[in-house]
Amino acid sequence: MEENKNKNKKEDAVTSKASENKKTTGAFATLSRWFKRTFFGGANALYNEMNNGDDEENKDDDIFAVEKIESPGKQRVKAFFQKKLAVGALVVFFAMFLLMLVGPFIYPIDLSYIETSQQNVAPGLNMMSVPKEMKGQIKTISSNSTFSVGLSEDGNVYVWGHTKTLLSDVSKIPEEVKNANIIHVAAGTDHIIAVGDDGKVYGWGQNANGQYGPIPEGNATLGFLYTFAPSDVLNGNLDPAQIKQVVCGKQVSGIVMNDGKFYIWGNHSIGATNLAAVKKYNNVEKLVFTTEYAVLLLKDGTYSTDGTSSFDYTYVDVNGVSTRVKLRDYIEENGRKVVDIGAAGSSAAFVLDDGTVLVSGVCANGENIVPQFAEGEKIVNIMGGQKHYVALTDKGTVYSWGSNTLKQSKVPSGISGVSEIFVGPFQTYAVDAEGDLIDSWGLKGYLMGTDNFGRDIWERIVNGGRLTMTVGAIAVIISSIIGIIVGCLSGYFGGWLDMLLMRIAEVVSAIPFMPFALILSLIVATMGLSEITRIILIMVILGVLSWPGLARLVRGQVLAEREKEFVTAAKAMGVVEWKIAFKHILPNVISIIIVSMTLDFASCMLTESSLSYLGFGVALPRPTWGNMLNGSSNSVVIQNYWWQWLFPAIFLMITTICINIIGDALRDVMDPKSSQGR
Amino acid sequence: MLKYILKRLVYIVIVAFILSFFLYTIYNFIDIDYAALRLQGQEVQLQKEGRYEEVYQALRQKMRLDEPLPMRYLYWMGLAPIDGQFDGLLQGNFGYSYNYSTDDVLGLLKEPLKNTVFINIFATILALGITIPLGIFCAVKKGSKRDTAVQVGTIVGYSIPSFIIAILFIWLFAVQLKLFPVAGMSTPNSNFTGFRAFLDKLYYMALPLIVMTFSSLGGMTRYVRSSMIEALSMDCIRTARAKGLKEKVVIYSHAWRNALIPIVTLVIGWFLGIFSGSLIIENMFGLNGLGKVYITALNTKDYEVAMALQMFYVVLGLAGNLLIDLAYGLVDPRVRVNK
Repeated sequence: MEENKNKNKKEDAVTSKASENKKTTGAFATLSRWFKRTFFGGANALYNEMNNGDDEENKDDDIFAVEKIESPGKQRVKAFFQKKLAVGALVVFFAMFLLMLVGPFIYPIDLSYIETSQQNVAPGLNMMSVPKEMKGQIKTISSNSTFSVGLSEDGNVYVWGHTKTLLSDVSKIPEEVKNANIIHVAAGTDHIIAVGDDGKVYGWGQNANGQYGPIPEGNATLGFLYTFAPSDVLNGNLDPAQIKQVVCGKQVSGIVMNDGKFYIWGNHSIGATNLAAVKKYNNVEKLVFTTEYAVLLLKDGTYSTDGTSSFDYTYVDVNGVSTRVKLRDYIEENGRKVVDIGAAGSSAAFVLDDGTVLVSGVCANGENIVPQFAEGEKIVNIMGGQKHYVALTDKGTVYSWGSNTLKQSKVPSGISGVSEIFVGPFQTYAVDAEGDLIDSWGLKGYLMGTDNFGRDIWERIVNGGRLTMTVGAIAVIISSIIGIIVGCLSGYFGGWLDMLLMRIAEVVSAIPFMPFALILSLIVATMGLSEITRIILIMVILGVLSWPGLARLVRGQVLAEREKEFVTAAKAMGVVEWKIAFKHILPNVISIIIVSMTLDFASCMLTESSLSYLGFGVALPRPTWGNMLNGSSNSVVIQNYWWQWLFPAIFLMITTICINIIGDALRDVMDPKSSQGR
Repeated sequence: MLKYILKRLVYIVIVAFILSFFLYTIYNFIDIDYAALRLQGQEVQLQKEGRYEEVYQALRQKMRLDEPLPMRYLYWMGLAPIDGQFDGLLQGNFGYSYNYSTDDVLGLLKEPLKNTVFINIFATILALGITIPLGIFCAVKKGSKRDTAVQVGTIVGYSIPSFIIAILFIWLFAVQLKLFPVAGMSTPNSNFTGFRAFLDKLYYMALPLIVMTFSSLGGMTRYVRSSMIEALSMDCIRTARAKGLKEKVVIYSHAWRNALIPIVTLVIGWFLGIFSGSLIIENMFGLNGLGKVYITALNTKDYEVAMALQMFYVVLGLAGNLLIDLAYGLVDPRVRVNK
C-alpha cells in the first residue's frame, strides 16, 4: 500500500507544504495530523509526538536532524521533488487543472450563443479605452460592432477598439479629416462618417457596399443592392449649421437636417432593407438604425417604420396581463406622442410624452422588460446597444435593461450627474456636463479574441479544457481498469486464461486505432443519442481501444512478482487466490501502472483532440481544445485569425507537455534500474 | 522457423476473419438502405415509369439485404456463393462506391495508395535518418546538458499532436515564408511530364513530409535512446571495453546490434502506424491519399469503400505484426530458438 500513498502524496505535496507553515489549531490541527499520518506514515508522527509532544513546528527540523531509514516510497517522492523540471511541470499542470475546475463556474458557457457582430475580433481589451486627449473634451462618442469613434470639442476625431477587418481598417483616419474641423461623427459596422464645419462629408473604412463616397468604378449596376450617397452629400453642399444628426448603421448612413429633410444611403439589401420606403419623408426629427431597418421619428410626434412589419406589435401590461397590441393604435389611442426613439439590434424603443417606454420588434433578450423609473424622472435620451437599452433621465440617472451577457446593462452603482450617454453595441460611456468621462461599462474586449461566431475564445478554452481533460481522464481510467484486471488475471493465473486474454489483447491491438475510433464515433453520432451519452461513449471507445499495452505491462510485472516469497506466504496462510492477485501482488506493481496512466492520460487527450479536430469527437458547439481548432485548417484563418488556433493549441500543448514531463520523471524515479531511484 | 511462420500465419488468418466479421457487424449498425442509395440517380426516371418499387425490390433481392447478418457477411467476404458464384473481398470485389457510382473500388484506391505509400516511406526514411544518430548520441552522452536538452525537446515533440504541428508549419513555411504551397497535390492547370512532374509533386508534398517527419521525431528519438542505453549497460559492452576496443567499435558494432532488436519492432510498428496516422496530415493538406479517401468516404456515407479501406488497415496491421515477429527472429537468434 506504500505505493498507493505515494500517488496521493504527490498530488497533495504542494498543498501540504503550504499548510505546514501555518500555526495549526483545533479541528484543523487534527485534520492536518491525520493528513500527515496518512501521507508521511504513522511512525513519523508518533516519533514526533514522543519527542516533542504536540509541537508541530519543530517537526521539519527533526526529520533532517535525525538520521532515519526512509521508506523507498518516500525516497522516490524526494527524488521526484529534486527534479526541478518535473516540479515545475506539476505546478503548471495543477494551475491548469484548477483553472479548468473553477473556470467554468466563473465563465459559464451558453452553447447557443452566437454574436455575428463580434466575429473574428482580435485579442485586446481596448474597446472602452477612451483616449487621454479627449479628457474634458468629449463632444460625442459613437460605437458600432467592435470599435468606437470619438469627437472632441476642438474638432479632432479619435478611433479606438478593434478596428481591423480583413478588408479595411477604420483606425486609419484620412489626412483630410485630421486637418478638418469635424463637427459630427458616427460609426457604422465597418465605416465611419464625419462632417466637417465646412459641410463636407468624409467617410473611411469599408466602402464596397456604398457606405460612403461616389459610386465605385464599374459598380454602377449594383444599384439594386446599394443606395449610393446623394449628390448633396458627395459634393459637400450641406449647411453645417443645419445638420442635426449624423447616424450610421450596418453599412448604412443617414444625415438629418434641422428642417426635417434627411439623407439616407448605403446597403439596402442588408443594412436598412426598408431604406426605399422611408426615403420619402421630409419631416424627420430623428433617425435610428437597427441591424436591418431604419426607424424614423417624425416632427409631428409619430414614427415611421415603413417597409417592415417587424415593429407593428408590442406587448403591454393591461391589468397585470401581458397583452399583444398594435403599437401605432396603442400610442395614438390616448392622443399620445412619441418624443424619442432608440434602436437595438433587432428592436426599437419609443419614448412617449407621458414617460412610457414601449419596445417592439424581436426581443429575445428581455429588451422589452422596461424597468420602473423613479417618480418624477423624465427620460431625455434613450439609446440601444445590440441587445440592450440604456436610458438617461433629466435627473442624471441611468437605467439599463436587456441582455447582460457581456455586462453591458449593468449600470455601476453610485453613478450620478450624468449629462450625456453614448451607447455602443455592448458599451456605455457616461459623460458629465464638462465633457469628462464619468464611467464606462460593458465589453472591454476579448482577452483571446473571438471565433468566427463571435464567441469568446478564452471562455471556450476554459470550458473546452474541462471537457478535454475529463474525456482524457475517464478514458484512461476505463483503459486502466480493463488493463489491470486483464493483466493481473492473466499474469497470476496463467494457463488457458492467460492464453485467451492475451489473444484478445493481441486482436484489439491489431486494430488500427485511428480509423477504428473514427468509425465507432461516427456510429455513435448516427445513433441519435443525447450529447452527454455521446461524449460518454467516446470516452468508452477511447478506453476500450487502448488497454492492451497496459495489460501486457501489468502481466509481465505480475509474472515476476508471483514467484516471490510473500505470495508463497499468502498461499500458505490460505488467502483466496483472487485476493492474492489483487490485494497482495497488485500494490507491488502499482508504480508502473501510475507511470503508464500518466503517460496514457496525455495520449488520450491528444487522441480526443485529433478526433474532435477531424469532426468525429465531441461535436460543436460544445467546445473542446480539439474541435476549437476545427475551423483552422485553411490558410485564411491560419494567417489572419491567428488567435483562433494559437491559444487553444498553446493550452493543449502546455497541458500535454506537463503531463508527459511528470510521467517521465515518475518513470525515472520509480524505475528500479534507474540510478536516481534509490 | 518454418513451423513458427506457419503457426503465425494461421493465427493471423483467424484473427483477420474475426476482425472482419466484427467490422462488418459494426458497419451494419449504421442504419442505411443500400438499395435505395444505389438507385438514387435513377429514382426520378424509374418513378416516372412506375417501376421504382419493382426495381427496388429486385435490387434488394439481388443485394441480399434481407438475409441474416452472418450470411451477408459471408457473401461480402466471398465465402458463400451468390448465384453459384463466389464474389466478395477474397475474389477482389471490394464493393460499390456510391460516391463515384462504380464497382471498381480497387481502381479507385490505386492512386491514393501510391501517394500514401510514397509519403509514408519517404517520411520514415527521413525520420530514421535523423532519429537514429540523435538517439545514439543522446544515449552515449547520457546525462549531459545536450542530452537533457534533447530530452526536453523530444517530450515537447511527442506532446504536440500532428495537426497542431501542421498548423504551425503551414503558418510558418507556407503563410509567412511562402516557401511551400498550403495544400494540394500539383500545380493547377499544369501538365508537366516526367521528371518535372515528379519535382512538382515533391514540391507539394514537401510540407506534409516535413510535418510527418517532425511529429515522429520525439517518440522515435526517445525510443532509440532508451534501447541504446539498455544495450550500453549490458555485460558484453563492459567486456568489450575491457578488451580495449575502440569506443566507436563498442558503440556501433556491439551496442548498436543489441539495441536494434527493439528498434526493429518500433520501425515496423511505426511505419504501419503512420498509415493511419497520415490520415490527419492528408486531410489537412488535401493530399489524395488513403486517409483522405477514408474520411471522405465516412463523411459522404460511402460505407463500402470505408469498409474495404478499414479491412486494408486491419490486414496491414496484422501483416505488420507478423513482420515484426519475423524481423525479431532475424535480428535476435535467441527468439528463433525460444519459439
